[in-house]
Amino acid sequence: MKKVLIVLSTSGTSEEAIDYAVKRAKKDGAGLVALYLLEMGLASEIFDKFSDIGFIGDKPSTQLSESIMKEYRQRGYEELGKVQIRAMEEGVDFEPLMEQGDFMQRVLSLIKTMDVSTAVLVKRRKRSFVKYFSRSMADEVKEKALCEVVLFEEG
Amino acid sequence: MSVEIDTRPIWVILLLKASRPAFYLAVVLIFWGLIAMPTPEGLSIGGQRAIAIFAVCLILWVSNIVPLAITSLFAIVLVPVLGVLPKKETYALFGNEAVFFILGAFILAGAVMHSGISNRVALNIMKRFGGSPRTLVISIFLLSAFLSFFMSEHAVAAMLFPIVLEIAKGLGLKPGKSNYGKLLFFALAWGCVIGGVATFLGGARVPLAVGMLKETTGDSIGFLEYSVAVFPLVVILLAAGYLILTKFFPIDIEGVGSARAVLERRIKGLGKFSINEYATGTVLLFTIIGWIAFGEGLGLATVALSSVVVLFVFRLVKWKDIEEYVNWGIILMYGGAIVLGAALDKSGAASWLVKSSVGDWAGSPWMAFALFSFLSILLTAAMSNAAVIAVLLPVSLGLASKLSMDPVVLTYAIAVPAGLDFMFPMGTPAIAIAASSNYINVKESAKGGFIMFVTAWAVFNLVAAWWWPLLGMGYSR
Repeated sequence: MKKVLIVLSTSGTSEEAIDYAVKRAKKDGAGLVALYLLEMGLASEIFDKFSDIGFIGDKPSTQLSESIMKEYRQRGYEELGKVQIRAMEEGVDFEPLMEQGDFMQRVLSLIKTMDVSTAVLVKRRKRSFVKYFSRSMADEVKEKALCEVVLFEEG
Repeated sequence: MSVEIDTRPIWVILLLKASRPAFYLAVVLIFWGLIAMPTPEGLSIGGQRAIAIFAVCLILWVSNIVPLAITSLFAIVLVPVLGVLPKKETYALFGNEAVFFILGAFILAGAVMHSGISNRVALNIMKRFGGSPRTLVISIFLLSAFLSFFMSEHAVAAMLFPIVLEIAKGLGLKPGKSNYGKLLFFALAWGCVIGGVATFLGGARVPLAVGMLKETTGDSIGFLEYSVAVFPLVVILLAAGYLILTKFFPIDIEGVGSARAVLERRIKGLGKFSINEYATGTVLLFTIIGWIAFGEGLGLATVALSSVVVLFVFRLVKWKDIEEYVNWGIILMYGGAIVLGAALDKSGAASWLVKSSVGDWAGSPWMAFALFSFLSILLTAAMSNAAVIAVLLPVSLGLASKLSMDPVVLTYAIAVPAGLDFMFPMGTPAIAIAASSNYINVKESAKGGFIMFVTAWAVFNLVAAWWWPLLGMGYSR
């Protein structure tokens, strides 16, 4: 059975992307896999800031990072819930996943192991100047993935 | 096997790959250039070397490419190696009272957080006064400020963040969309920032400034004396902050019933008031009284460390607990900053820097005060508060003698604005954690923060001009 993968993350979700992924899965007669990626970047940045600038000890910094991650996980469940409802409405098979780690590595690995036919990714809005110097990870996945990749901007 | 091809232009790829080594190379070249160049007229060789060390520390503190404490360590190593100060004198500066005061204050704050009393006080105040959307925001704003009077503002932000987050979720506020959600997180962050300048304890940067002042001039600032001087600033900024926030983000909810349920559940989870909480609260209370009443005579560090001893004697806290709450890097950061300040002063580099840089513009004491307070509040938006003090204070103290200014007043001009960063997450952890909630973003923070930046600088200068003379403080000696 074909599989359509939609990747949502703490740094970006898109109603348009969710809608596209569900409809595409229905059209292709494929199953829908929704991955919500918890990006550690911000939480660990806060941890470093507290340690380096605020000179706060490990315990409060760790508690804070955990609190941020808990909140992100909660938001992940909510987002996956939304996708599930849309998938049920359209009668599409649905599989939710929530993982933590490097965006590109996780997405590429999932595309390979699950034999995904189409991946739908959401990328952050960036100014054109910034885009030139730092490519979005979604763009990089599009170049490296062995399947069709459709990109949407967050919003 | 797949081959990964980077399709960006080659010069962009090389530039990005080489940026870090190139940065270090540039720092080494600047350092070497400053050491090797002919000694300018009026500057000693020791002064020239002190300026080279200062320049490198300034670059590293601003770029934050290595931890702040490690940059300080760099200063501690280079000062004796280059013969700016004898090694015995360099390491003796670590024994500065400011270093031990801040260590004691951090251990006390750790004990207070560990006991849970600060959490209990916060929850009860929010529950008692947060009956409506308006009063809930005000209680979070004032509570953040009030707690930052007694412990590090960063620790307060870390402690209150999960509570505010739970309240926001309890009220069903949408991240990035709800005005009330933005209000709650801005109230938390700005309250911590404003409260952090009210006493020696909030941002923990004032003791560093006072330590450097004492090392350079022999003058000092008392615990109560400082708080009385900045009191009107804190009150005006709290009022201005509230008005600005509610203007930018008008309250868009009707009631806060579910938030009260969250608070009640959390209070219930704390259980009964324990003896440990009572005792730790009492020790903190007596410590503050001790700082006010005996700080001048006994020394602030002595009072702080005595209280730490009491905490351990009565087994209110264990060493392991304290280790988890205190970041020992602060000793290196503060010690290094004091060493650098002393090196610049004793080698004559500070007064030479003043003559050849700001000396001509800062023609009058009023102008010097306005200029340094502006530089301080501007720099703190981009770098750590403590680093701003380490960079600006030695130079400003050099200017004090040139203009016959009171160095104590110039110390205020640097130390107070250095804590007033309302704009960007990079300068203040409190803003960073508020932004991490996704309820507010950096753009909104910069917009509202800019108005507070201008307001804070103007109010600070007005307080210095109108309030301080009533306390017997003036620009000139």
